[in-house]
Amino acid sequence: MSAVTELLQQTVEGVGAGAVYASLALALVLIHRFTGIVNFAQGELAMLSTYVAWQLMASGMPFWLALPVTLAVSFVGGMLVERVVIRPVEGAPELTLVIVTVGLFIFVNAAAGLIWSFTVKDFPQPFPDGGIDLAGVSVGWSTLGIIGVVAAVMGLLYLLFQHTSVGLVMRAVAANPTSARLSGIRVGRVLMLGWGLAATVGAVSGVLVAPLLFLEPNMMGGVLIYAFAAATLGGFDSPVGAVVGGLLVGIAETLAGAYVDVVGADLKIGVPLVIILVVLLVRPQGLFGRAAVERA
Amino acid sequence: MSDHTTDRPEDNLPGTDPTAQDPADPDFLRVSDLHAGYGQARVLQGLDFSVARGEVCAVLGPNGAGKTTTLRALCGMVRGRGSVTLDGTQLLGRSPEQAARLGVAHVPEGRGTFSDLTVEENLRVGAHLRTGVLRRGRSERAAVAADLERVYGHFPRLRQRARQTAGSLSGGEQQMLAIGRALMLRPALLLLDEPSLGLAPLVTRELFEIVRAVNEEERTTVVVVEQNAQLALDIAHRAHVLEAGRLVLSGPAAQIREDGQVAEVYLGVSVRSRKAG
Amino acid sequence: MSTITGILRADGARAGRTRAALIALAATVAVVGAPFYFAPFQVFQLTMVLVYAVALAGLNLLVGHGGQISLGHGAFFAAGAYTAAVMLDRFDTGHLATLPVAAAGCFLLGLGFGVPALRLRGLYLALVTLSFAVFLPLLLKRLEPWTGGSMGLTVDKPQPPAWSGLAEDQWLYFLVLAVTAFALLVARNLLRSRVGRALLAVRDHESAAEVMGVRLSLHKTLAFAWSGMFAGVAGCLYTWVIGFVSPDSFSFVLSITLLAGLVVGGLASLYGPLLGAAFVMYVPNVAQDLSEAAPGVVFGLLIIAVMYVAPAGLAGLAGRIGSAAARRLPRTRTPDGTHTARPTPSGTSATSADPTPPEAEVQAQAEPVGAPPRTEEE
Repeated sequence: MSAVTELLQQTVEGVGAGAVYASLALALVLIHRFTGIVNFAQGELAMLSTYVAWQLMASGMPFWLALPVTLAVSFVGGMLVERVVIRPVEGAPELTLVIVTVGLFIFVNAAAGLIWSFTVKDFPQPFPDGGIDLAGVSVGWSTLGIIGVVAAVMGLLYLLFQHTSVGLVMRAVAANPTSARLSGIRVGRVLMLGWGLAATVGAVSGVLVAPLLFLEPNMMGGVLIYAFAAATLGGFDSPVGAVVGGLLVGIAETLAGAYVDVVGADLKIGVPLVIILVVLLVRPQGLFGRAAVERA
Repeated sequence: MSDHTTDRPEDNLPGTDPTAQDPADPDFLRVSDLHAGYGQARVLQGLDFSVARGEVCAVLGPNGAGKTTTLRALCGMVRGRGSVTLDGTQLLGRSPEQAARLGVAHVPEGRGTFSDLTVEENLRVGAHLRTGVLRRGRSERAAVAADLERVYGHFPRLRQRARQTAGSLSGGEQQMLAIGRALMLRPALLLLDEPSLGLAPLVTRELFEIVRAVNEEERTTVVVVEQNAQLALDIAHRAHVLEAGRLVLSGPAAQIREDGQVAEVYLGVSVRSRKAG
Repeated sequence: MSTITGILRADGARAGRTRAALIALAATVAVVGAPFYFAPFQVFQLTMVLVYAVALAGLNLLVGHGGQISLGHGAFFAAGAYTAAVMLDRFDTGHLATLPVAAAGCFLLGLGFGVPALRLRGLYLALVTLSFAVFLPLLLKRLEPWTGGSMGLTVDKPQPPAWSGLAEDQWLYFLVLAVTAFALLVARNLLRSRVGRALLAVRDHESAAEVMGVRLSLHKTLAFAWSGMFAGVAGCLYTWVIGFVSPDSFSFVLSITLLAGLVVGGLASLYGPLLGAAFVMYVPNVAQDLSEAAPGVVFGLLIIAVMYVAPAGLAGLAGRIGSAAARRLPRTRTPDGTHTARPTPSGTSATSADPTPPEAEVQAQAEPVGAPPRTEEE
């Protein structure tokens, strides 16, 4: 295998990983746009969704039926989280919001352990083995499948936001909640919708990553850090940025793991840390964010 | 988005039921013994005034007199005690979204447009109450299209900028957009908070002329809070002067304009000691 | 009439002083006597409360007083713990030598962290610090020749000298108690010094503070350094007490737990770190008794519940209950209010950079409801 082919191969792997990060980053960005909160529990909610999918499949449901059911459950769950956990502290100081989502993190993590135990579970791979060969670079069906599912989710979100009146109202709330209220929009309901959507998008990342990482309550901890890096890189208020950031982080991680000896397989988690630091110091608004935001 | 039918805009004028338009309805908006404030700070100390249907009412007064608070109490942005009725319906104790549903359109100070959305999307958000988010039948679409035409008719500049994002507009255009969005509600009561704030004199004049035209053509009842007393009095039918949370002067706009007391109270040349509000 | 109330009040003040002295005496007796009364395991738990209290006091400097969110203080804790462990394991330096080295090392580490933190605010700082806390245990595993990798390091605990006649757990308790008391004293004095006042000014009115000449960047960086130092000292004590360190003891969960403990205990309050430390130590234990796997569930719910019910933390709650109780006690009150000649705090503040002195701030924090019955004064 030539050096170029090797590089391409690694890049493809990186895109596959990056698609998962992009999905969770998108969930983070959605909530940040709507409520200004960085939801530290986002990864855990995705993990919970993944357990729902696992449970459904364990009871005999095929993957492609379990997936939509899981997404629907996640949507309702996300709305409930907003209504029950977040609404009472709406408008509270940032520290309070961080602590509440951290509390939610600990709670969901432990609850999953309580229900399903901390032993690792095998999560079935929904995509067939093998793959296709493109000029010496083998692209696995699973990689293609992950990219395809994430792309479909992005496409649906784009349609929702740009071409439906629900999307228009949601964008209005994200842009200016006060004016939205004055226009008669029930902002509380829209925020619930936003959290529901974010939980759904996050659930996609959990279900896709579970076959690779094995399912256990701490599965999403690392993924969350990558998603943070992706959202930071893309800009915390830019959904497009989250996707691009996710792919870049995935590629950077894979390449660093393969080519930088100091990093190796075990210190890959340092890559998102470095990315977050560098982006925040050099271009705090990220690639696609607007400068004025978040410098309050 | 390209199917904007312009059919029969005259059928879609506000005040949907013309028979309900009683010109002799002096208490269309009735404010009595209104108290309001923020936390410990009591700003309004018992306001009483009425606005007749179809009237433009100016609320004047020095900084901190409670003008903005008055508007915010009317639209539910601050809590108030007392009574505020619009066409007999109690407005106090309602949230801003409920007030909007009762036909109160508030254009806040600093405009508050949706800066990431295009001009047309901003206006569509304004119409969202009548179209709802899920039921978008033919008739609603046609009605919204007609309303867009109506607003573009008042603000031709907005039509030129329809596809631009609100954030890219000039200050005057943003104020027009904010008022336009409010008009998309087909409001029974339009509340304007300092529309001239930060705008060049020429732009301000243009804006006030449009407000006058809206009021004359659509019979929309308007309450406008304004620092620039001359401008506001030019388009207003009646005016109320606030000081330290109380009404100190009320009357027909023309009379207030002639009255030397306004200069004394409003322009701040009063010899009476006055508490900063 | 006023003479009578005056005498009454003087009497009351004297009684108050006596009561305070009695309480202090009782507290001292309790603190010193505890290791002789409780079983070794309970003494160990109390010791750990003291260890956490030092870390939380440091975190309090940064979060409570500096207003910067750190989700990565477990990293400083780990750095201090590993400094001590490596010194004991590789260089056999003896325990006392590890303390200043851990303190200085973590001070410098905090200084290094404080520089990028200058450019970060709120949530972003939380992100960076959390990422660091996730990263550090893996780095510790990688540095196996020094740290023993995943297996960790086992080191000797400080042994009680023969003259003391104390058991190991008791000796450890007193050692840690001494360090903790000293550390809390330093923290308190730090807050009362220019540093603390500048921090408050920065937290509450950043731009105003800058205008008034508070050197923002310096103080924010120093806040990180001091805060890191306290966490490092706590980590060092941890190594003394446990005698074992491993990367998994310092996962990011520790960082999260520390911040949660502080917030639950009470931000910017003097007793907050102590209450928070007890929370961190005992709540998981109590929860464990309730159900085998429940500690996280209970811990998470409690954190959220405290945010809803008592945003000022347990210390604030205690203050509220205390002042409510005080209101119910018979009090002497002058109806005319002329004798309530307490100077207004803001009028007499020591430096221009200081809008509110620390005590007033602490009270304001501890009593968000503003309980004092002011209506009677008018």
